[in-house]
Amino acid sequence: MTALRALVRKELAVLFGSPVAWLTLAAIGLVTALLFFDHLRIYNQILFLFASSTMGGFESDTVPAYVNLRDQVFLPVMETLALTLVGLIPLITMRVFAEERARGTDELLATTLLTPNQIVAGKSIAAYAFVALALALSFVYPATSIVRAGLGLPHLLAVYLGLFGLGIALTSVGLVCSAFTSSQLVAAISAYAVAFVLYDFRWMAQFLPDAAARAIDPLSMHLRFGAFAEGLVRGADVAYFAGYVLVAFALCRLAHDQARVR
Amino acid sequence: MRELAWLGLVALLASAGSYYSSSRFGFFGWANLVAGTAALAAALVLWLRRARELASPAARRLLLPRVVGVVAALALAYGLEVGADRANLVWDVTADDRYTLAPATREALARLPGAVTATLYVDPDDNRARSTRLLLETLAAAGAGRVTTRERSLEDSPEDVDRYQIDSSNTVVLALGERTETVARPTEGALFEGLRRLAADHGQVVYVARGEGEGDLQRGGDAGFTGLAEALKTEGFAVREMVTAALSEVPADAALVLLVAPQRPLRAEAIAALEAWLGRGGRLVALLEPGADTGVESLLARFGFGLPDAVIVDPASGPVEGDAPGVNPIVFQYATHPATHGLDATRMVFFRRTRPVLAERKPQPDDELRAVAFASRRSWLAPNAAAVQRGAAPEQPAERSEDYWPVLTVGAYPRPGGETRIAVFGDADFASNRYLRALYNLDLLMNTIHWAAQREAEITLRPKSLTPDQYPLTPQQSLEMLYGVGLLIPELCVAAAAWIWVRRRSA
Repeated sequence: MTALRALVRKELAVLFGSPVAWLTLAAIGLVTALLFFDHLRIYNQILFLFASSTMGGFESDTVPAYVNLRDQVFLPVMETLALTLVGLIPLITMRVFAEERARGTDELLATTLLTPNQIVAGKSIAAYAFVALALALSFVYPATSIVRAGLGLPHLLAVYLGLFGLGIALTSVGLVCSAFTSSQLVAAISAYAVAFVLYDFRWMAQFLPDAAARAIDPLSMHLRFGAFAEGLVRGADVAYFAGYVLVAFALCRLAHDQARVR
Repeated sequence: MRELAWLGLVALLASAGSYYSSSRFGFFGWANLVAGTAALAAALVLWLRRARELASPAARRLLLPRVVGVVAALALAYGLEVGADRANLVWDVTADDRYTLAPATREALARLPGAVTATLYVDPDDNRARSTRLLLETLAAAGAGRVTTRERSLEDSPEDVDRYQIDSSNTVVLALGERTETVARPTEGALFEGLRRLAADHGQVVYVARGEGEGDLQRGGDAGFTGLAEALKTEGFAVREMVTAALSEVPADAALVLLVAPQRPLRAEAIAALEAWLGRGGRLVALLEPGADTGVESLLARFGFGLPDAVIVDPASGPVEGDAPGVNPIVFQYATHPATHGLDATRMVFFRRTRPVLAERKPQPDDELRAVAFASRRSWLAPNAAAVQRGAAPEQPAERSEDYWPVLTVGAYPRPGGETRIAVFGDADFASNRYLRALYNLDLLMNTIHWAAQREAEITLRPKSLTPDQYPLTPQQSLEMLYGVGLLIPELCVAAAAWIWVRRRSA
């Protein structure tokens, strides 16, 4: 465990010792803040229209129930943030295994006291921790604003849990892609391709019979995240995201041994 | 091989990009999807041919356990997901328990006479559909096989749009055999009503008295009672009018007579007809406004009800809509009775200018007469009821008597023709379109009607929804939060990046 902890600490130190990690955090935070503020601005304009004298004003009950901060601002921003993660996470994960392999330092790592399982676990934990931190930072601004709209802390936490699950799944995809190549570029591009396919299977519906489309739809990350965003925490969705971690670990371990064979 | 794989990945990304930007596969998306898949497949074949070194015995020894590990991880992940799904581990953390079905909905599902198909008609870009899908899934899960759900694209179903009169995306059509119900804004409440309408047989008839200025069940707007008429139909009653000016006998098929705030005295013949009917086991629900003397009060007095001409003033309730403080009591004290089933101190009913309805004296020893809903202990009676109805402030009587003044009293009277049941509310406004769906008004009224009609099995708590705060932040506050929180965190991250970069360069 000490060796694993040391590896995680080293990975995090390498990550946060580079300006790129900080700039990635800044980018996620900035994109979220600007998106949220823009939605908020448009929402205030819509409210102003409803509240203007020609529409009768607030007191006349002319503002429809669907015009509210949760549905018009918070959930669309979270939706966009989820899609933003698909774009940003491969940039974080691309270097995790591929960089070591390209430099040949993976062989050095193999000579340490660390077992292959610990190597894979240590690198994965560091990547997951970074993604969790990035999400937490990007969540602060929308959360502090939305808490005034009566969304409720449990619902807010569910949305964060959903984003975290989505981030974990996307990170797992990125880790696997990074583990099977020595090129960071290939790792990133292949992670994008796989993530876009897994993110939403609705596109397959037009190629498949109805029953098959319904069967394959639950594999979509977006669908699973959607339940959290709506305030419904389902054990099956949590298990779905946890499944990515399990499978990614096994695949990364396979990639590690495959590299040794070569 | 690498070149092919690259080309394949780029083509797939272009295809995905075109789909995510337009939610459709055009020619561009199709072409890239086919080309990308073909290129990747070719690259895979080449890779497999080159990967022969992995087939050596030493490599097999090393890799086989790993491949088994991948298969085991996939199986474990699948097993976990299926297990969690079967265990139905679901937590609804929405502020208004949006996905926790109300008892009424569960009962409506349990009483469905056959299998119901719920079809969601939706535009691909309609984000509201997600919430509806989850709600339909919840209904299907609670329906134990009685409800199946499916989804149709609105633009691919023009015939259905005409047939079911679908006006907009996110509309659900419930079908039970040949009967269908179109639910345009599918909240739980709307779906519940749709299910009830599908299954309703309208066997019992409610006669609504008309002709002496009563509340109009065909009039829309805030002051009308169309909401009450719809609720009665939804919950299985047929609604008919009964003109009291020509009434000599209550119709034989009447399950219940509803009196909604008569303003003028009823004819003596009408009163006599009602009394004769009640004497034979009839059922009456009366919503009486303060400040009116219609002759119904005298009739009810003969069944033990006391209706002082006064208005309840409840200091526990604040001013509402410009009325004097206290004249609109929010009731949360209930006696145990089928009419108040499920109501408690957290489930309140809003009344607007209410007269007290007292349980005074039972006509016969076997009769039951009791008050079941009360204003708070600090409430008192103002004698100038007619003036308060017109908006005047309540007058303090010389001796103010503070008590739990009842706003609803019910009586059950065993008679030769059956059990007579009477329920009297001291207000009618609480059932108007403006207030019927406020708080638990609908539940208290409909449960009372079901009790009076001897349909206790229909008594339940109906779905509720929370209207969210629509303007919690001013533009100025939004801007302050953007500067105070939104931009501060990225700024600190950029500062950290700059600091690290400078330190590295100077090292």
